[in-house]
Amino acid sequence: MQQARSAPILKVQDLAIAYETRKGDITAVRNVSFEIRRGETLGIVGESGCGKSTVAFGIVNFLGRNGRITGGRILFQGQDLVGRSEEELRRLRGDRIAMVYQDPMQALNPSLRIGEQLSEVLVVHRGMKRKEAEERCMQMLQRVYMPDPASVMRRYPHQLSGGQQQRVVIAMALLNDPALLIMDEPTTALDVTVEAAVLDLVEELQKDFDTAIMYISHNLGVIARVSDTVGVMYAGELVERAPVVDVFLRPHHPYTQGLMRCVPRLGMDKASSYLYPIKGRVPPPDHLPPGCVFEPRCPYARPACCETRPELRQVADGHWARCLFAEEVAQSVWAPSDEVPARLPAIHAAAADDKPLLVVRDARTYYEVPSRQLMGRKQLVKAVDGVSVEVRRGQTLGIVGESGCGKTTLVKTIVGMEKPTGGEFEFMGVDIAVPVSKRSLEVIRNLQMVFQNPDSTLNPSFSVGQQIAWPLRRFRKVPHNQVRGEVIRLLEMMKLGERYYDRLPRQLSGGEKQRVGIARAIAGLPAMVLCDEPVSALDVSVQAAVLNLLLEIQAELGTTMVFIAHDLSVVRFFCDYIAVMYLGHVVESGPVEAIYAPPYHPYTEALLSAVPFPDPTVEQKSIRLSGSVPSALNPPSGCRFHTRCPRKLGEICERETPPWQDAGNGHRIFCHIPLEELRKVEAVVTVPKKTDN
Amino acid sequence: MTVAADLGKSLDTGKRRWRRVWESVSVIFRSRVAVVGLSIVIFWVLVAIFAPVLAPHSPFAQDSAAINKPPSPTHPLGTDHLGRDILSRLIYGSRTILLLAPISVLCSVALGTLLGLIGGYYGGLVDEVVMRILDAIMAFPTILLYLIIISAIGPSAFNVVLAITFVGAPGIARLVRSLTLDIRVRDFVAAAKLRGDSDWRIMFVEILPNARGPLIIDAMLRVGYAIFAIGTLGFLGLGLPPPTPDWGGMINEARKYIWTNPLGVLWPAIAISSLVVGLNLFADGLREETTRYQ
Amino acid sequence: MAKYILRRIGFMLLTMLLVSIAIFLISEVAPGDVARHILGQFATPEQVELLRDQMGLDQSVVVRYLDWLVGNDWRLWRLVGKPLRYTRVGQYDSPSWYAVEADGTLKQWRMKKGTGLVEIRISPDGKREEFLFEDWQIAEDGSEIFWGVDTADHVVLWRKGEEAQKVGPASAGRTMTEASGVEYYPLRKGLLRGDPGISLRTNKPVGPTLVRRLRNSFVLAGIAFVIIMPIALLLGILAGLKEGRAVDRTISLFSLITTSVPEFASGVFLILLFAFWLKVLPGAAVFVSDVAPFMQPKLLILPVLTLTLVEVGYVTRMTRASMIEVMNAPYIRTAFLKGLPYWRIVFKHAVRNALMAPITVIMLHVNWLIGGIVVVESVFGYPGLGMYMLDSALFKDINAIEAGAMVMVALAVGTQLVADIIYTFLNPRIRYT
Repeated sequence: MQQARSAPILKVQDLAIAYETRKGDITAVRNVSFEIRRGETLGIVGESGCGKSTVAFGIVNFLGRNGRITGGRILFQGQDLVGRSEEELRRLRGDRIAMVYQDPMQALNPSLRIGEQLSEVLVVHRGMKRKEAEERCMQMLQRVYMPDPASVMRRYPHQLSGGQQQRVVIAMALLNDPALLIMDEPTTALDVTVEAAVLDLVEELQKDFDTAIMYISHNLGVIARVSDTVGVMYAGELVERAPVVDVFLRPHHPYTQGLMRCVPRLGMDKASSYLYPIKGRVPPPDHLPPGCVFEPRCPYARPACCETRPELRQVADGHWARCLFAEEVAQSVWAPSDEVPARLPAIHAAAADDKPLLVVRDARTYYEVPSRQLMGRKQLVKAVDGVSVEVRRGQTLGIVGESGCGKTTLVKTIVGMEKPTGGEFEFMGVDIAVPVSKRSLEVIRNLQMVFQNPDSTLNPSFSVGQQIAWPLRRFRKVPHNQVRGEVIRLLEMMKLGERYYDRLPRQLSGGEKQRVGIARAIAGLPAMVLCDEPVSALDVSVQAAVLNLLLEIQAELGTTMVFIAHDLSVVRFFCDYIAVMYLGHVVESGPVEAIYAPPYHPYTEALLSAVPFPDPTVEQKSIRLSGSVPSALNPPSGCRFHTRCPRKLGEICERETPPWQDAGNGHRIFCHIPLEELRKVEAVVTVPKKTDN
Repeated sequence: MTVAADLGKSLDTGKRRWRRVWESVSVIFRSRVAVVGLSIVIFWVLVAIFAPVLAPHSPFAQDSAAINKPPSPTHPLGTDHLGRDILSRLIYGSRTILLLAPISVLCSVALGTLLGLIGGYYGGLVDEVVMRILDAIMAFPTILLYLIIISAIGPSAFNVVLAITFVGAPGIARLVRSLTLDIRVRDFVAAAKLRGDSDWRIMFVEILPNARGPLIIDAMLRVGYAIFAIGTLGFLGLGLPPPTPDWGGMINEARKYIWTNPLGVLWPAIAISSLVVGLNLFADGLREETTRYQ
Repeated sequence: MAKYILRRIGFMLLTMLLVSIAIFLISEVAPGDVARHILGQFATPEQVELLRDQMGLDQSVVVRYLDWLVGNDWRLWRLVGKPLRYTRVGQYDSPSWYAVEADGTLKQWRMKKGTGLVEIRISPDGKREEFLFEDWQIAEDGSEIFWGVDTADHVVLWRKGEEAQKVGPASAGRTMTEASGVEYYPLRKGLLRGDPGISLRTNKPVGPTLVRRLRNSFVLAGIAFVIIMPIALLLGILAGLKEGRAVDRTISLFSLITTSVPEFASGVFLILLFAFWLKVLPGAAVFVSDVAPFMQPKLLILPVLTLTLVEVGYVTRMTRASMIEVMNAPYIRTAFLKGLPYWRIVFKHAVRNALMAPITVIMLHVNWLIGGIVVVESVFGYPGLGMYMLDSALFKDINAIEAGAMVMVALAVGTQLVADIIYTFLNPRIRYT
């Protein structure tokens, strides 16, 4: 047994993969070596474009028409997969090696029934009869905790929720009891509570099936949670490989260190800590630096780094790093470079003015959707249903919640892109319960927004300069001949500089686009900026830079902000006040420290226990919500959370709307459970005392 | 900043802009099919421009001594039933078709774009009404619609343009509408809305420029269709009134004599086929190349 | 799904209504006087005026539209005071309008030169008798009048004493011999009730001709369709699977060129090649009667081939594009990673999804097929609906144009509806919502 355990299921040696393009072959992945043993999970982490998925598809040699393996060996259970015929590989795929990847909706064939898609795996690989195969599939569905497997078998993919679809895909992968399971961002498209449940499932199944798992993710938190060993990839190379705790606590590669420094950890806030972004950007695969690939961005770079390409070498027991000076890097006390300001001016000082800038009372926004019945009446989606929030000048309100909770609708209603159905909206003392077209230019100027998706935030047809110039001319009536200078001043404030003036959006990276979007939003010097997940589509190293930029703007201009996010660490770091939303309601609100400590609203508690924190030493209670978020078309009566609440009291939760309970210091909880009870709940997340770093 | 530096900068900007234009134009040369298509089109455009120089005779001159004659040194492609030089009529015919087709496509693009933008941007009832009307027009088989319109308003160059505009606009409106529906939910449009920009500005500055790629390619394919349609109308006897040299009309007149003078129908058929094929090869090659890069 | 289909049917009816208005307006309100067009250059203004009256052109557009669409006997019978019936008396007579007595006797009236108004009675057993009419009614102004049905399908107001014969000119098969009434309303059953009216070109009812021509066109288009679909789908799927390879390039180029060449040009090429130079097939303009295509099937070969050439490329291209899109879809990647055999992936996972999109487009393409038929029929002188439409359009035979156009549009819209319904059955996303 022990012998079998030590033999690796998968051993990859010096793997190199290239894609054929018009400009010639481009090597996307090179010198990648790792191994995975039975029952072990190897987490592969890295930013977008670093070659993680290419490695995954390379293992099963499914690289599309223009991709091919150009070097190295892939030993699967001792046999080399490189150079095998398509037919031999086909027999392995779906049988010995299974894959699960992002976006389960796309992964399932929309026009075939689930049962059909599951059972054909057994029919093809095991030669099972259809009946027998279906029996086995239903057992497997039961195994992944799918309610009512028999009916699921008859359904089509679009009739399942995202979490259910992912369970189907996982069941499909496990049908043949594969030796190796490759999971490529399997939970990225899911909400945190659903993600947590899927991750639990993966963990449990791994124990039962003793499968070797290769888990790919860009999310350091998820990687910290699932992995035994972690491989860090950068620009097509594996730069560090070590047991999970070592990678997170004792990183030996400067890139890994950089990653750890730019994600907000639990307990960090903007007043006492700073996120240190990694300078520069990932080099494109056809323009790699001659020496170490990380050299241009490395704070420790020395002349030798430009010349020699370092090998992956063992720097401690079981700890491998691709750095010439790994030992020194790990030891040395890192100091921020000069570009980083020592400390930001105190932000709270601006909040001297105690009058709220924005007051929202009992906001309601409903949408009409056509009925599904033949002659049915139109139905109402109550996206926002009775929300009250206040934001004081100079402060930041964070709104958190899972998709569909109404946070984006609330913001859209505030900026006037959605028509409120009811409630009071007051901004700078002016009633703003009207669409944009009926607002005064002054109100419009003072209320601007930063968007989530960097690829859609800028108009692709106009240069950066033109896009920033328009709001300048519109809101500040900047004279024609001074516009350019003013735009450049703004670009410099965004750390972009004049050379960006004539660039088109497609020539910018995601982070740069987002900065231009911010510049455009603040061009009119607004009193308040609403940020809708401004960093969630960005890579972690870029996230930090954008967050810092927003903080600087706030410090410099005293801008008030509303910040929507689903990442609780980011919100914790960035915001002063937080409102937690569930299904159109705010269930808890208060100062940031209060939200992360008991008393919790049961939903906040579940949310906190579900969020993967980028720290393997963090201890989290495991509270999992059953079922999925009910439809806003027909929200549950009484407390909307009662259908999933692990602390449900009884009938009262179903019948009566809960009261707002004041826990002091502006901390309010929307729950029937008495405060004293809630106070007794112990903290969900405990961070052990840091010993080093 | 010194004036010289400023000048240098603007020169640099100008150069960059040209490079950008060249980059988008040079896409054509990556596709062999597009180059072949473009060459055919350029050939006919040159023929149309230099028609008076190239044509050996007047397209209207009748030679009663040479009726339905096969090719000869004086009439390289032969003569038609009225003794007119086929080559000269072909050469002048290219003028007619290469003038009317782009004009009618431009008109239908203008009309269709406007309808599509309005329908797609405003949505709701406006969209519903516009779309129902367009659906009704599109329910007609194209040629039938030409038949009805031309038979009602009579054949003339202007009416042909009018008919093609009317028939082509709904397709363009649909395309623009679907592009608009796609673009109007992007964040930069939301940014413009919450800046309080006017609807017209949003439609024409924020949305329309981003629809131009597919629109240009569609328009180019439509020039092919328009030539196709003008030829067909001419062939059916609903095109330009004689004696205007018009390829479709030439075939229509010559086909009565197909058994005595087969070349009389062959040359114009080859001419119109080559032009439409050329245009479509060009537009299609271009579309393949541009979509490949997205 | 029922809701979706009902909605589509609703849209279809709405579209047809709009189309009927459009057709009517374009052809009837267009510049140029129909009556003048029929009578020719040399008719007197009085004659034109009389014909306008007889054709009902003096009424408002709305009334004329409704008459054309749903007929007017249900409205005009009040004037006559008896029910009106459109029927055929003898086996070989063309049908005509009659007033019906309670006992089933059919009646028409006719002004006879020198005699006065004559009543024609046809008893239920088919016996035909003529009587001099005497039952004049007294109008408000004291004159003696009578509302009746004449032998040319009008409701006519006769006034005693104003019996002078006005004889119109004859033109294009239409003779104007009886014109003795004071007021005329042309009787129509209406398009929706199966009566498209009388052809202005042939002076025969449009309906029966339309049916014969439609049948001929169906034969032509049907054969072409049956040939086109399997070839095009096969080529499209093949090209889509081999995207970028030599097979794909050849198929793509071939289909682009064949769709680009106009039907009349490819028809000319084929005639020259097969009929003129090779002399293996009959060429154009040899169909002498409406039934000729069935007597000599060889005549069908070239028209079908022409249609096929033009249409096959279009469907191929649609199918290819859709196939490429599907083969790049993530669920096809899943299928590959499940280790399924290639052809199982193609047929079970890809083809069905790939054909879903083109099926609507292909059915939409019936529009093009109909358009193509007009040209192909004209090239080969084939006696189909397209040819009939073209002849009518050249003559400005508005009754025939309107009826033919409605039939064609109904066909086009109908196939679209069928396509929509097929699509909903193929696509579970719509079926199960």
